[in-house]
Amino acid sequence: MKDRRPGVRERWDEQRLAALQTDRLPGWYATRRRRRTLVGAMCTALGLLWVDTGVSWRLAPSDTAMITNFVILAVVLAILFPAIVLLNTATRGTTSLRERQLDERQIGERLRAYTIAHRLTLWLLVAATVVVLNTGSGRDAHVPYAAIVLAAISLFMTHMLLPLLVAGWRLPDPPPDEDDDEQRENGATRNGAEDGNTGGGGAPT
Amino acid sequence: MSADKENVHNRIAVLRAERGVSRRDLATALGVHYQTVGYLERGEYSPSLHLALRIAEFFEVPVEVVFSLRPFPRLGSAP
Repeated sequence: MKDRRPGVRERWDEQRLAALQTDRLPGWYATRRRRRTLVGAMCTALGLLWVDTGVSWRLAPSDTAMITNFVILAVVLAILFPAIVLLNTATRGTTSLRERQLDERQIGERLRAYTIAHRLTLWLLVAATVVVLNTGSGRDAHVPYAAIVLAAISLFMTHMLLPLLVAGWRLPDPPPDEDDDEQRENGATRNGAEDGNTGGGGAPT
Repeated sequence: MSADKENVHNRIAVLRAERGVSRRDLATALGVHYQTVGYLERGEYSPSLHLALRIAEFFEVPVEVVFSLRPFPRLGSAP
C-alpha cells in the first residue's frame, strides 16, 4: 500500500511547529521582564487601535481623521507584527498551534490563557457597551462608518491577541537549554545527587 | 487549597543524570516538549497521573521512587 503524502495543511502545521521551536532574537524574550515589556508594547498597540476608533467616531469623515488613521495603523502594525512573532516563539506556540501538537503542560497553559482572556474580553465588552449607551443622541445619533469598521477591527484584534498576551505575561522563565548549561548541569547533578531531591511546586493537573 | 500543600517533589533530574539521558531524549520518549521536562525537574509543573506513570515506566522504577508528596531524604542522612 502506498504511503499517504502529507497534505498542505499538515505540512503547514509541521512547518509552523518547527518554526516556533527555533529561537529568533532570543534576547528579546529571554527573561520574564522582557516578555512583559513585549506584552506592554502589544497592549499599547491595541490601545492605539481603540484610540483610533474614538478619533474616527469624533472626527470622521475628515482629512484629520484619515491622516490620524493611517499614522496610527502604521505604528500599530510596526509594533504588532514583530511582537506577535516574538511572543509566539517565546510561548512555543502555546496559544496558536493545534492542540494535538501540544503536550499536557502546554494545553493546561493554553486553557488558563484562554480563560483569563475570555474574562478580560467580557469586561472590555461591558465597558464598550457602557460607552456606546452613554454616547450619542438617541435616535438622531450618527456614527461614522469608519468608526464602526475600526471598532470591529479593534475588537477582532483584541479578541485574537489577548490569549497570547496572557500566555506571554504568565510564562515563567524556561529552563536553560541543556547544550548551554551542560557544565552547570553536571555541577547541579552532583549537588542534586547529594540532595537526592528536586522540585516541589506547581499545581497538580 | 494552598499551593504549598499541592507540592509534588521528584527525582527526575537525578534519575536522568544517573542513566545519562538528556532532557530532549526523555522528552521525546515521553512525547512532551523538552521544556516541560525542565519545568518538571524544577518543580514548577506537576504532571498528570498518566505522565507520572510513564516517567516511572521509562526509568523502570515504581512511581513513588520518582515522585513524593514529601521532600526526598538527602543521601547519607539517617533513614
